[in-house]
Amino acid sequence: MINFTINNQPVTAAKGETILQAARKAGFYIPTMCYLEKTMPCASCRLCVVEVNTTDGLILSCQTPPTQGLEVTLESERLQLERTNIMRMYDVNHPLECGVCDKSGACDLQNKTLEFNIDSQHFTAKEQPRKIEHWGLINYDPSLCILCEKCVHVCNEIIGDDAITLQFGGYKSAVIPKNSEKLDCTFCGECIAVCPVGALVSSDFQYKANSWELSPVPATCAHCSAGCSLTYEVKHTSIATGDAERIYRVTNNFEYATLCGAGRFGFDYDVQAQKDTALFDKAVSALRNAKAIRFSSMITNEEALILQRLKETLGLKLFNEEARAYQSFMQAYGSISGKATFGGTLDAIAQSDAIIILGGRITTDNPGVRYAMTTAARHNGAKIIYMHPLEDALMQNTVTQFVKYEAGSEEGVMAMLAKTLLADADLSDEFRAFFNELDEGYLCAESNVGDEEFARIEKSLRRAKRKILVIGSDVLNHDCAQNIARLAALVETYTDFSLVVIPQNVNTVGVSLVCDLDCDENIAGVVGYNARGDFVMGSFVESDLVLPALNSQEGTFVSMNYQLLPTNVAIRFEGYCLNDLANAVGLRMANTIDYTAQLPMAKGFNGTAFDHLGNFYGSLGEDNRGYQLEVSDVEVNGTVASVNALPEFNGTVIYRCNPVNQFNSYTARTTQLERDSALHGSAQFAAAARISDGDTVEIQSNGSVEVRTFFLDSNLKGTIALSPTFDTEFGVMNESYRFEKIKIMRVGS
Amino acid sequence: MHVEPFTDRNVSEHSAYYYVDIENYPVTGWDKFKQVVKRSLKGELFVGLWVVMREMIKFDIHTVKYPLEKLPIGPRYRAVHKLLRLWESGFERCIGCGLCEKICISDCIRMDTRIDENSRKEVTEYSINLGRCIFCGYCAEVCPELAIVHGGRYENASEQRAHFVIKDDMLTPLDFLTAGQQEEYPGFGAITPHEDERVSKTPLAY
Repeated sequence: MINFTINNQPVTAAKGETILQAARKAGFYIPTMCYLEKTMPCASCRLCVVEVNTTDGLILSCQTPPTQGLEVTLESERLQLERTNIMRMYDVNHPLECGVCDKSGACDLQNKTLEFNIDSQHFTAKEQPRKIEHWGLINYDPSLCILCEKCVHVCNEIIGDDAITLQFGGYKSAVIPKNSEKLDCTFCGECIAVCPVGALVSSDFQYKANSWELSPVPATCAHCSAGCSLTYEVKHTSIATGDAERIYRVTNNFEYATLCGAGRFGFDYDVQAQKDTALFDKAVSALRNAKAIRFSSMITNEEALILQRLKETLGLKLFNEEARAYQSFMQAYGSISGKATFGGTLDAIAQSDAIIILGGRITTDNPGVRYAMTTAARHNGAKIIYMHPLEDALMQNTVTQFVKYEAGSEEGVMAMLAKTLLADADLSDEFRAFFNELDEGYLCAESNVGDEEFARIEKSLRRAKRKILVIGSDVLNHDCAQNIARLAALVETYTDFSLVVIPQNVNTVGVSLVCDLDCDENIAGVVGYNARGDFVMGSFVESDLVLPALNSQEGTFVSMNYQLLPTNVAIRFEGYCLNDLANAVGLRMANTIDYTAQLPMAKGFNGTAFDHLGNFYGSLGEDNRGYQLEVSDVEVNGTVASVNALPEFNGTVIYRCNPVNQFNSYTARTTQLERDSALHGSAQFAAAARISDGDTVEIQSNGSVEVRTFFLDSNLKGTIALSPTFDTEFGVMNESYRFEKIKIMRVGS
Repeated sequence: MHVEPFTDRNVSEHSAYYYVDIENYPVTGWDKFKQVVKRSLKGELFVGLWVVMREMIKFDIHTVKYPLEKLPIGPRYRAVHKLLRLWESGFERCIGCGLCEKICISDCIRMDTRIDENSRKEVTEYSINLGRCIFCGYCAEVCPELAIVHGGRYENASEQRAHFVIKDDMLTPLDFLTAGQQEEYPGFGAITPHEDERVSKTPLAY
């Protein structure tokens, strides 16, 4: 702790905190223009200057840590003049188009201009010819840009795209795409969020509504398991088409949270229906006669609990292979670690200084994890060891060591990795014997990962203090997933590693906690809720009964951090919901959210009612969203099974993997997100499969046939092609192992 | 101007107040009967009729023959709104800033905007719900472009209220503009006199 004074009042700062952070915590106000809590200080605005007793000059509070006994002055005539002059410079030739500017008053520049009372321009500058840039989902107006560099920092440090940069040229400076003519990035839109003026704006939203006309609905993103916080902003559609509300844009608390493109631009997936009693009766009788309900994990906890109650009252079975795989993975994990939940979180990843990630294509599976990893790499210089059969071009700036293993050999790789990490651990004889018995030669040969690579991993981890092991979703559906879980649990229990497992869908974790799932037997008489069945209801495809989409529902999710997150209704839904159906077949509950308080306490839920859940970040970044689930202890009784023959994937192999910003049937039908449903393969794959760029191909796998166009992707290497799943029926959640041997045929030639 | 000393409310010789000589109300039935007979036969009716007759034969009538004639209304009169155009280019003055929508205290203004082909903000729809409008004039006062003004059309009779409130009805027609018939309103929202002297120019060195 460092004690110093601000304006003669005593303030304490933690080690590593800057004057600005300590001052804000203590409730002092220091104006800033370029400061973002989640990035390194840009130090471009120089508005945060303060006076200190140790030096004559002004110092920047955003990047200077206080020293013991320092006397800081925040207000003086000199500081006021300095800040006012900076604001005068910012306002030089700034277009006076506040009336039409997309920022519509929610503008840092406007606020500060009024704060420092800048009412006229004393400087002159020749106006440069500046062109408005159209970069797909993003528009950039350089004449409005104040060059605060927030967008550049966030793109580089948090997102990791590193797609924009500043073109220095004095008064001609502007933000430009890095190393390319047009912006080539993953379109997360975070640059739009952080832009303090109307320079970077969403091209879809631009000039559609003023910010004060929009009513904010705090919610949780429904697309992946990171469960990012977002705010839907809704307004009536238009004068011509009437009063029905629609979502105009999605915003986020960019100071403390980050959102990917799917969350920011993929919001218009709501469905509409009217109350049709005939259809409802049909659904009720289908439910009464059903033997089982098959459902996806894109469901709230409350609905999952309704399904569980239906199972109990009607004697149904519940099918959800994807959540069941996660459930059994976590059970196997608990049998070694003695805990029901793993120890790592997204925040822990962001603060770590060494990350090993095994078995998942992180940029598309879970952008939240990707951003946390980028943050760790840029801020802590974290070593990032990425183990996967496919290299990821988007991660190449972040990853320090890429370890390529053969598809299917995850168990062997995990065993070898665990052996490396547990070399000095105090293991029981049983576990030590397991590692001693490993046939290293076979495992290294089959997985194609050499000893020297594990040695390099060991070497680069030697100095790390906060280490994370991330298990991707490939592993969850692996045949030997449970053994991998036990090995991962060993690593977490006996080393200082924390484990993070990436579930696939927004509420895979919640479903795995709430529902008692059965093995999918492919029987007849199944009611599908956003999944295939004899009677289909939901919002994914054209269903027999339309139920509200996740942006029309109140309820909660459990994120991969084991945090209960509330979501709210952005768009009114006029039809029936699952609770109506449940009430018709015997349950009694007025509203779906009445179930929130009844979520099972044994699994860590604490019984808080929905209306008492917060959904916001505090002004200093305190996470007031929902609550953290209690970690419950489970019995330790697991043993590690010996690693037998590793499966081989030879011939034509595809990897089920969606393009960036696409996740499921919801994202597939949004208007803004690009729908790239091509099969992406390398030149090597094309040669082996005898197809070329642009061919229409037929992919035959396990009895199903898909027709896709082939796209020769220069970013890819190796013999495995990427085949999307978001555009298939029910946006197929990966229910089986993601690598698949297929037959591929050219169509129509 | 003479001001009656109304401050002294006591009835006296010096105050402006005095008692009006009003007969007591009749109490008994007989008294009431007498009052009715007196009033019926006195012919007071014809006193009033004579006034009408006298004015009629003078042929000096002040009646405004509405709707053939209309009284001129003051420039600050706030009747049905108009949307004006720029004189030179004929473009709409409205920039779609939405301030009128925001300030409207009866929440009766709505507008739809979009980005047009030239990356400018375009107002596609503009409507005022006259059923709710209280003609307070805030919209005209807040308008930074003098685009929305109160016109002089106070006759709101039509089959439907909506007939006055869509953009096409309010916007000055182009032929009207080219014929120089768009009226500038010195009233609500207009620039105050001598505004030019108050504006200081941005320095331009080139």
